[in-house]
Amino acid sequence: MDGWLRAEIIAGGIATIAIYSFLWKENPFYRFFEHLFIGMGVGIGIVVTVRNFMWPKGIKPILCGAGLMEPGPRESYGAAYVLYLIPLMMGFLYYAIYSKRYRWMARIVIGFSLGMGGGLAFKGFFSEYLPQIIKSFKPLVVWQAGGGLDWMESFNNVVLFFTLTCVMSYFFFSFDHELPVIKQASASGRWLMMVSFGAFFGATVMARMALLVERLQFLIEDWAPAALPWLAHSGGGGG
Amino acid sequence: MGEAREKEFWLLRVDRRWVYLAVAIALAGPLIFRWAMPPAKIGTAEQFFEVAEKIEGGDGKLVLIAMDWGPGTQAENKPQTEMLIRHLMHRRVKFGVISCYVLAEPFLLNLPKNVAADLNEQYEGTGKTWEYGRDWVNLGYRPGWTIMVQGLAKSEDLHDYFKTDANGTDIGEIECMKNVKTIKDMPALGEFTGLVGAVQVWLQFFNRQEHRPTYLHGCTSISIPEAFIYLDSEQIAALQEGVAGAAYYGQLMTEKYVEKGLGKEPEKASSAAVAMTSLSVAHFVIIFFIAIGNFGVLWPRIRRRLGGGTAS
Repeated sequence: MDGWLRAEIIAGGIATIAIYSFLWKENPFYRFFEHLFIGMGVGIGIVVTVRNFMWPKGIKPILCGAGLMEPGPRESYGAAYVLYLIPLMMGFLYYAIYSKRYRWMARIVIGFSLGMGGGLAFKGFFSEYLPQIIKSFKPLVVWQAGGGLDWMESFNNVVLFFTLTCVMSYFFFSFDHELPVIKQASASGRWLMMVSFGAFFGATVMARMALLVERLQFLIEDWAPAALPWLAHSGGGGG
Repeated sequence: MGEAREKEFWLLRVDRRWVYLAVAIALAGPLIFRWAMPPAKIGTAEQFFEVAEKIEGGDGKLVLIAMDWGPGTQAENKPQTEMLIRHLMHRRVKFGVISCYVLAEPFLLNLPKNVAADLNEQYEGTGKTWEYGRDWVNLGYRPGWTIMVQGLAKSEDLHDYFKTDANGTDIGEIECMKNVKTIKDMPALGEFTGLVGAVQVWLQFFNRQEHRPTYLHGCTSISIPEAFIYLDSEQIAALQEGVAGAAYYGQLMTEKYVEKGLGKEPEKASSAAVAMTSLSVAHFVIIFFIAIGNFGVLWPRIRRRLGGGTAS
């Protein structure tokens, strides 16, 4: 095994054990690796954003457009690319929020962001939820192509209709829930939501276990042979 | 307080660390002894396989794979993405990997490379090879989420939009990107994530009035109930459910592409089966603990009702 790869695996194993040591109790070993992970995440984010986005899509076109830098062999940047400075400077206005005197300038760019976010959310809402609303209108009696009743599909659609109306009635606060029909429907809605939360919780347990399995697989199959070679040679370690 | 605790039924006083230990042993056992059960049949994985089988390939077509996941959810998202990549490579459908999540960067580079290396090794001597640029392109990490996805969908010249791949090579020089100009040249999108809101961004903005790619989605187990809403409303064509979905998809891949003598069986298929067996054993242990935990709460009450006094 390559020396660097081995060092990487050993460090990865130590970091994994450090993070799981929290299960025993809060300790400095865990705390150190937690901060290390957060710091590395932020550091990688900054470097990659500058390298993959800021430089090729922002700074380089401005420099090439202004004639301060030679573009690549297949690239061409006209003088108009210098105009990229305008949105770039607008972005910098965000930092004016730290100055009492110039804070008002940050509001300009925040206003732009809010407007843009609102517009995108509006479009996003319709393209995401309209198809769901349309698909929730289902026939309660479904016939097969041959003419017979499709019992299973019909049952599914009845369950969907019942659940949808009951859960929605639970969230209607504009009229009295003491009306017997509404009371029963909203109570059923609450129960149905509890069933749904149970499914969510079961899925959560499965997801957490899957993450733990991957780490255990790494510790047993990769880390143990690299960090404890005598164990692997003696037949342990599984990998 | 301490006195009240002392009077509690002994099951309620069990240190939580014993539960952690039991779960860890249950998970580690099958991994150490390489105990594998065949994965259970999963309808959605079958549907995913069938949809991926029908994806249109050929010159000027590129499937986009959004790998919006990182180390935190690699346990589930990595095998899912790997299976789709493997499938597309087998079918000779060209694809590009991209991500809106910064910590995905190393996986964008290594995952397709490792699958290609594995296939090249399996098919050594048959004349079949897989290589970067011809079969896939790494479009890298692209920040901006909604803005990036919307820009990508609306772009009339993807070469100008991307400019370079993740290695800094001009997009126009990459073979599989040569005739790919707009979203209309992308027949499908494979989106894999464990992040809240990621699939929604792609669903909302990665389309045009005249072209809507086939959406394939791989989610972590935690978001399966939510993902089913999109499957039921036909906003996504196929869904891979957590690591279990990936394991069964892997089995379907093996049946179709490996057992027919097209190549040697990949060793990784058994690793997924071992992991799934581990999960199953751990689930039994958790169900057992839930049962005895409830028993621990109910038993003192039952004894009191029966007139047995306090339990200890």
